[in-house]
Amino acid sequence: MNQVTGIDRRQFVLSTLAAGGVLVVGLHEHALGAELQAIPWDRDNPPGSSEFTPWLSIAPDDTVIVRVTTPDIGNGVVTQAAAFVMEELGTSWDKIRPEYASTNRDYRDGHVYSQVAGITGYFSGRSTGPDRMKTYMQVAASARERLKAAAAAQWGVKTAEIDAQNSVLTHKPSGRTLRFGEVVAKAAKVKLEVEPTPKDRSQWTFLTKTNPAKVQIPEIVNGAAVYGMDVRLPNMVYAALRQSPVHGGKLKSYDADAIKNMPGVLAVVAVRPQENKPSDLKPPFPFGVSTAQHGVAVIADHYWQARTALDALPIQWDDGPGGQWKTTQQMNDAAIQALEKAGEKIEKSVGDVDAGFRSAHKMVEANYLTPYCEQAPMEPLNGTAMVTKDRVDLWHPSQHSQMAYMVAADESGIAPEHIYFHQTYVGGGFGRRIFSDDARMVVAVAKQFPGRPVHVIWSREEATRQGRYRALMAGKFKAALGTDGLPTALLARASGGPGFSVSGLADTACTGVIPNVQIESQVVPFHVLTGPYRGPGYNSNAFFVETFIDECAITAGIDPLEYRLKLYEKWPDIGWVKCLREVREKSRWGQPLPKGQGRGVAIANWGMRGKADAGTTVATVVKVEVSKEGKLKILQIDVAFDTGRVLNQDAVRAELEGGTLFGLNMSLNEGLTIKDGRIVEGNFDVYPIIRMADAPRTIGVHFGGLSDNPRYNEIGEPPAGSVGPALGNAIFQATGKRIRSTPFRHHDLRWT
Amino acid sequence: MATSINVNGKMLDVDADPATPLLWVLRDYLGMTGTKFGCGIAQCGACTVHIDGAPTRSCQFPLAASAGRKIVTIEGLSPDSSHPLQKLWMEMNVPQCGYCQSGMLMAAAALLKQIPQPTDADIDQYVSNICRCGTYPRVRAAIHKAAETHALRSRT
Repeated sequence: MNQVTGIDRRQFVLSTLAAGGVLVVGLHEHALGAELQAIPWDRDNPPGSSEFTPWLSIAPDDTVIVRVTTPDIGNGVVTQAAAFVMEELGTSWDKIRPEYASTNRDYRDGHVYSQVAGITGYFSGRSTGPDRMKTYMQVAASARERLKAAAAAQWGVKTAEIDAQNSVLTHKPSGRTLRFGEVVAKAAKVKLEVEPTPKDRSQWTFLTKTNPAKVQIPEIVNGAAVYGMDVRLPNMVYAALRQSPVHGGKLKSYDADAIKNMPGVLAVVAVRPQENKPSDLKPPFPFGVSTAQHGVAVIADHYWQARTALDALPIQWDDGPGGQWKTTQQMNDAAIQALEKAGEKIEKSVGDVDAGFRSAHKMVEANYLTPYCEQAPMEPLNGTAMVTKDRVDLWHPSQHSQMAYMVAADESGIAPEHIYFHQTYVGGGFGRRIFSDDARMVVAVAKQFPGRPVHVIWSREEATRQGRYRALMAGKFKAALGTDGLPTALLARASGGPGFSVSGLADTACTGVIPNVQIESQVVPFHVLTGPYRGPGYNSNAFFVETFIDECAITAGIDPLEYRLKLYEKWPDIGWVKCLREVREKSRWGQPLPKGQGRGVAIANWGMRGKADAGTTVATVVKVEVSKEGKLKILQIDVAFDTGRVLNQDAVRAELEGGTLFGLNMSLNEGLTIKDGRIVEGNFDVYPIIRMADAPRTIGVHFGGLSDNPRYNEIGEPPAGSVGPALGNAIFQATGKRIRSTPFRHHDLRWT
Repeated sequence: MATSINVNGKMLDVDADPATPLLWVLRDYLGMTGTKFGCGIAQCGACTVHIDGAPTRSCQFPLAASAGRKIVTIEGLSPDSSHPLQKLWMEMNVPQCGYCQSGMLMAAAALLKQIPQPTDADIDQYVSNICRCGTYPRVRAAIHKAAETHALRSRT
């Protein structure tokens, strides 16, 4: 009965053998029971609980409520917030109950939550950023001291004689005890003369020592967790949505009469983008990124009825200027054509590139191309809104709840004080749910059916075709090599549709160690909408840069890994060299391989912005086998990384595994096709995602690249950059074929 | 006209078009939202349930065909999250976003029932669900560990 169908494998089948890496799973902390509840919104404070700060309340039964701004998209950000509090408060893990911090309160209460991390205040990542870490640890340390002070006052003893452990306050000389819950009311009123200093990391007992699994997993494994798609409310109706198939196109007409008598149909509503109007709101991103598209929604008693009726609804579209882009090839050609003239924007200029080229020992030149890619989170886009004349409630799987909150206010025209945003579980983000164009469409539909909750659902096809994609991008690279083989001058031009970026190109280490560098960019006026996609900009640029560095190494006749060591030892961040050495050792780099096999390496950094000791560096080695018929097998993947330091080893390991597989799929499989301005692909039958059989059985994640620099940098996005070029470089070693565009599955890998 | 179906051991009446996919019957008519919508074309497996013990993608299985069969959903995999796979999923920090994991668990549970000691190739073949977060190495490790634990128990 299992109705699976195979993915499109076209020119080769990807399969894997058991890799040499070791999968070390988390310590058995499942007994630690901090829980995010199935419904993570709108829980009342337990009766009698006391708020120490907006971030932390404690109930009479000792429950510790930790308020978290960062929606958990599977990266463990909620668990990390609980862990910071755990370290300082003197409670036990099973007493901690995280919940999402209200965006409405943030607005009304002087940005009490979002001020901590600026535009990323309510963003779904960066849980280990220094501001967040400091805030939680300070709040918890302060609460602990206030609890001690309240107990000291009750007993008439000195605060210094009191110890706080497992939510129990103990007067050490006498052995008397009080539970936290017994003194919370008094403790919350205590004003400390001096705020305590959080512990030095050498004194930590929880962070780095314990690797708790994500607190929400118990709600996931029994199906209780309520994702956006699972919101069920009294009187709720369902809407199926269709937007202009050409981005930016207009709704010409539709025939609601044709479907009005179909079962369950309640209404047919049109969405037309409203004109920009002045707003006092200060959203974390400009409202322009969330612009509505022209569309039609059918509202019905049940989703299947709405969807069936929508499929039967006659709709006429005016394609608009986007329709001029007839084929993908036409767009690729335009992007490559744009590389031929000097870029309109100089992103970086150091030294004299022309002089460098004139004195070259050897020259290397190549063009690269990466296509539009869809984030394809497993939960299709959706949201539920109830709009009345003076209030909006929005239940939504957002990746940036403050942005979605502001968009709801903007789209409804109702004052932000009267907007209530309810963060649900999120079925994958990868950047797709940040700009909140989805939240805007939900409110735009629901406001036309006021007074009842309207659950708006994109079909998978609709979600895929109405994306905010990773931008199509092309790059032209030209380098002069000196007598030692290393680059002395580099000219790189990047071009692409609006939304592409030079992150990971103009600001990465290789442009910092080459003496003469010029980086230029040129925007091509494509209509296709773009947005963040795991490691924005970086995910294309890492492929360009690290494939090109490999070509330089081959031209210089130097082993590609040794070449990178020579190049990056000039960069004043020891993490680069440490990662390369670690992955060299763990992958057994240099050990001879039979014909048809090869190893490739790549190293990249997400988030460094031109600085040493910043961002997260990842070095990846991929070992492949390519048959003469062009069939590719990935034999092994090893990853070394430098986030500076690590707080939860297993959480970091999980993100390195996931990020590597994401980047692998991006490079192997992903690329959208455009026909007459429309996105062709709609579902997983034609937009393949690797499955169990295609994924390496293990991914070797190695910790020896850590520099111990005092930062705990993010790890979700970085691994997506290095795996693709490492794979391409491995294919070159195995076949002699250099791959300069993705997806790799479109390339003929046969060799003789 | 109502159709009577057996879900997790209970007979339930559903007043829906018999052509409605079982997925939407479970989610919208019966309020059992643990079974997820991912693609609607039986590709991704997020909607996997057991029908007479066989793992089945409920998005392509009509209500009309569901009558007279025993349907088990994630809510019925165990009464208290005590299925060995559910426990290992928690212990080994398997899920990331978790959206695909209901289907992943149902596929893995059906596999272990059919093949108590699956090889890697068995896992590749029977657990063909899509996970965009990339939990495959952990899903595989947890299935192997469940099989190991089962083998140990059988021996003692």
